[in-house]
Amino acid sequence: MRWLRFAIGLLIALTLHSLLDSFYPNALAFFNPYIILVVYYSMGGNILGAIVAGVLAGFVQDAFSNAMFGLHAFSLTVCAYVVAYINARLSLRGTLAFGACLGGAVIVNELVIYILVNILVKQRIEMFEQALLVKTIFTLLFGMLVYQLLTLFLREEPIEATRRPAAW
Amino acid sequence: MAVPTDVIPRRPTLLFIVVLALLFFLMSVSSQTRYLGETRTMFERTVMTIFSPVPKFVNWIGSTVQDMRYGYLDMRRAVNENVELRRKVGSLTTENLKLRQSEGDLKRLRSLLAYAEQFDMQTSMAQTIMLDTAGRFKSIIIDQGSKEGVQVNDVVANANGLVGRVVLTTNDLAKVQLVTDSNCSIGSLVERTRRQGVVRGSGGSAVQMFDIPSLADVQPGDRVMTAGIDGIYPRGIPIGTVVRADPGQSLFKTVTVKPAVDLGTIEEVIVIHTRKIPPAVVRYAP
Repeated sequence: MRWLRFAIGLLIALTLHSLLDSFYPNALAFFNPYIILVVYYSMGGNILGAIVAGVLAGFVQDAFSNAMFGLHAFSLTVCAYVVAYINARLSLRGTLAFGACLGGAVIVNELVIYILVNILVKQRIEMFEQALLVKTIFTLLFGMLVYQLLTLFLREEPIEATRRPAAW
Repeated sequence: MAVPTDVIPRRPTLLFIVVLALLFFLMSVSSQTRYLGETRTMFERTVMTIFSPVPKFVNWIGSTVQDMRYGYLDMRRAVNENVELRRKVGSLTTENLKLRQSEGDLKRLRSLLAYAEQFDMQTSMAQTIMLDTAGRFKSIIIDQGSKEGVQVNDVVANANGLVGRVVLTTNDLAKVQLVTDSNCSIGSLVERTRRQGVVRGSGGSAVQMFDIPSLADVQPGDRVMTAGIDGIYPRGIPIGTVVRADPGQSLFKTVTVKPAVDLGTIEEVIVIHTRKIPPAVVRYAP
């Protein structure tokens, strides 16, 4: 069931990606719907599930962008792992906690992409700091709004809320 | 058999490391083969094929809503236009007859001068359904795929000029690398002076023209076209206009070119099914 919900979330993220691409071509520079899904899923604290979710969401994002195939999968997997690792140890709940995780994840995601592009393609991303700031703010605002809507109207807990024992 | 207790806890971390290693390998392969013709992995094609109904559906919804919105207004406008067009058809038919006569004359004169006519390449129309110009890697996705005869390295243009080239095809979609993509290189020439160079995307909104000597005559306002020397882009497609031509610090000028096409507003494009150079010829080229 939780994977079905993740699949629906992924389809919604891709639909949003397509819609933004069609009507506001530069919107994805300010906002990343995939990371919201991955962070929301990883908040459940299941590390294995989070890794798989990160890889799947990343592959879909890679397939519909012209980046090196695997770039977003790599960065989203790192984010998913970090968020799930933290949530396996600390029981973070609520919009602010989600916002903190999401903000951190966006920054980690952009930093990982920056480093990988530098290493593999040997190219410098221009205006990196400005883009990072704008993306963090917009993704954070939208992500927290989605989280509020899910918790208020659907009484939804993060996917995989049935936490598995953190065996570390 | 019981699994040793000290192994189980480390599994997620091990899996994480293995997954990252595999993804890094996948990226390395992808980044090394980006410049070649058959660049994309089967895996990428599979993922794109599985999810291709989503952007197609979104595009269908978008165009249906737009059709409904503009349908009524267009219908009223069409009635008025129809009257106007009927009038124009009369005058154009007369003009057409005159031009046909001129065309016959021109063909005869060309044959007299042994002028070799350029071969015609097949083209097809396609619609943009996704536009990714936000990041450093810039691409569009069009609604024509291998089923319609689109192949990797087919050239994509519109009425204003060059848009890019096809880098990946599925049955019913194709991914197009834009001229502004940081991995795009095009053999080009300055129309006024015929000076050849290489246009490369910079990841921004403009492109750079390289290999132009400091003493070469290139000025802002010069039009830049494809030179037809790179084995992909046919000759004579407008790329853009020179906006800056600085002396540069070395032997070459720094030339900035503004693309002829507004890449943020592409809707319909023409796919030119170019003649492909066999890989063996490319491999053994000097």
